[in-house]
Amino acid sequence: MAISFSRLHSACSHSLVAVLSPLLLLLQMPATLAQAPDNKPVRIGVPTAVQLQVGRDTITAIKMAVDEVNKKGGILGRKVEYVVADETENPETGISAIRKLLANEKVDVLIGGYTSGVTLAQMPHISAAKTIYLGVGAASPSVTNKVKTDFDNYKYVFRVGPINSTHQARALVDYVANFVIGELGYRNIAIIGENAKWVQDLVPLLSKGAKEVGAEVKLTELFDTQTSDFSPLLAKVKSSGAHYMIVIVSHGSSDILAKQWHDAQVPIPYGGVDVKSMDGDFFKRIGGKSISQVTVNFAVRTPLTKKTLPFFDEFKKQSPNYPVYTAFFAYDAVLLYADAVKRAGSLDTDKIIKELEKTRHEGVAGEISFDEQHDLQTGKGKYNMLFVQWQDKGERVVIYPKELRNGNFILPPWMKK
Amino acid sequence: MEILIHGAVSSAIYAMLAVGFTLIFGVARVLNLAHGSFYALGAYGTYMATALLGWSLLPAALMAIVLVALLGVVIEKIFIRPLRHSQLGVLMITLSISLVIEQALFLIFGSEYRNVPAFIQSKVSIGGIDIAGQRLLVVAVAVLAIGALYLFIQWSRLGSAILAISQDAEAAKYMGIPSDRIFALVMAISAGLAALAGVLAGPFLSVQPTMHLLPIMKAFAIVIVGGLGSIPGSIVAAMMLGYAETIVAYTISTSWTEIVSVLATLLMLVFRPAGIFGKRAAF
Repeated sequence: MAISFSRLHSACSHSLVAVLSPLLLLLQMPATLAQAPDNKPVRIGVPTAVQLQVGRDTITAIKMAVDEVNKKGGILGRKVEYVVADETENPETGISAIRKLLANEKVDVLIGGYTSGVTLAQMPHISAAKTIYLGVGAASPSVTNKVKTDFDNYKYVFRVGPINSTHQARALVDYVANFVIGELGYRNIAIIGENAKWVQDLVPLLSKGAKEVGAEVKLTELFDTQTSDFSPLLAKVKSSGAHYMIVIVSHGSSDILAKQWHDAQVPIPYGGVDVKSMDGDFFKRIGGKSISQVTVNFAVRTPLTKKTLPFFDEFKKQSPNYPVYTAFFAYDAVLLYADAVKRAGSLDTDKIIKELEKTRHEGVAGEISFDEQHDLQTGKGKYNMLFVQWQDKGERVVIYPKELRNGNFILPPWMKK
Repeated sequence: MEILIHGAVSSAIYAMLAVGFTLIFGVARVLNLAHGSFYALGAYGTYMATALLGWSLLPAALMAIVLVALLGVVIEKIFIRPLRHSQLGVLMITLSISLVIEQALFLIFGSEYRNVPAFIQSKVSIGGIDIAGQRLLVVAVAVLAIGALYLFIQWSRLGSAILAISQDAEAAKYMGIPSDRIFALVMAISAGLAALAGVLAGPFLSVQPTMHLLPIMKAFAIVIVGGLGSIPGSIVAAMMLGYAETIVAYTISTSWTEIVSVLATLLMLVFRPAGIFGKRAAF
């Protein structure tokens, strides 16, 4: 039933799209061609998944940054405003959100995003409107590959964060080589992940890289994002002889995975990329059952740059939880956009793009700079993947890379000797 | 051995869902698409009482089950009864109710997964297989609940009334059986069973607003395979489906499990529309 309804809905909106899009484009023309009068505020459009923590935190962080910019006199003497549209995790809703922001709200810049599939679907509309888009949530390399292959059309798109999934795979391989094998001595690993585009991109790289550094990959399996019972999978991992389980999941229900892993006391520690486990309240939300789980993050409350602690503390005042990754990048994106406009001296899109390309911005957890395809760069002093472990009372401890370590790795309570 | 145990857990949850679903159809000819919502509300009710109101688990769970059963009665009385003469009307109204409940859960709780505490925290080892205690509890409770329901229907006066109506509603009415009151009772049992499944499965399955979809799909598949309106049929079909999915997950891949039930439904509709135990095709 539900399926046929959404089909019906999509059929309707398709025909609407066909009729309306030329009209909408016409409507947008004056906004981009003619410069706004000087006293008009600079408007930031925020397309994000407002039902999710990633979305709510994006909004909180943007509000913080906008307040900060306004306190310092705004952008080019103009006040800064922001307006939010719910893009959900569904490409079609994502397109209408972008359209609402561009056509109705006439925003000057877009800052947001979460699901790669949604961002990819929005890109043609962003490029048609010739509006700068600073992504803070989507990790698929396909987003910035489009900038590379069709620069003239997609030069408006920058990825302020997160680190793309190719770099993530490399960081995971480093983690497996240097930490899981090097320090923990677990050579047999299992890789499980959700069946989604970014994981399909990432797993072969990870599996190949892990084998190269001497790991034995005992099992690789992708599961459906709707999976609600992981016990068969966990039993398979256990009988495969793996000593460590790498998990790669964003949209799937990693809450259930953690619960079922904990309740069956699976004698295998696990870690990897678990986007929901980046949430500040993940530990509490699942009753502490993620104890000893490791997940990557891009920042935790430890002095990575001189902005890290003030940002985390201010954020905590405005929200019940510590921020998730989209918040760091959304906050950074507003500030680095304000800087770029200041340097460009006008709201001329091409001039701002030139300035954005030269960005060297000290962000919440590292310096932000872009490569030639407008993707966030990683490396020393820049944003990096931190491997963070849930420990007693929901404390988060950085265990890798070594130079940023602020605590020791712990085993699941049932594995302690 | 692993397949045996995990299959039993899946089967138990499915059976609790499907028995209620098939019962209300068998008795009142109501194809209740909001059945999954009762499951969701059972889990959310427990979550709310334990996490937000600070109740302990047992009273929270009982409160949730009773409230959902009452809600079932209210929904039957206000929304379903006026439309009962039309199968299509019932389908539409119950579908809308399930969507309204889903959206309400979205608004109140957001789309994050929520945590329902487990009755049993420890794990149990059976023949070298580790399994969470809560899962075994599900199997035990399902057997007890469905057994009790069976005895109730077979041996009590009210049960005979339910049976009479399911066999011939018209004749039962002439015998002086108050059919409306029986429908309300059956709706309460059906909703309560779904809520019980939600309360028990919540700790290890997902608790979030769209959680009603999976149970309604499974219940649908099971009653079609087992025969719409047949309680033994749905128990047998629940076990078939539970085990088939577990076997597929173990031997092929976890990402293949979801196709099992839809495929079973399709094949059954094509080759034996009445289901295994059904006397005649329901549609």
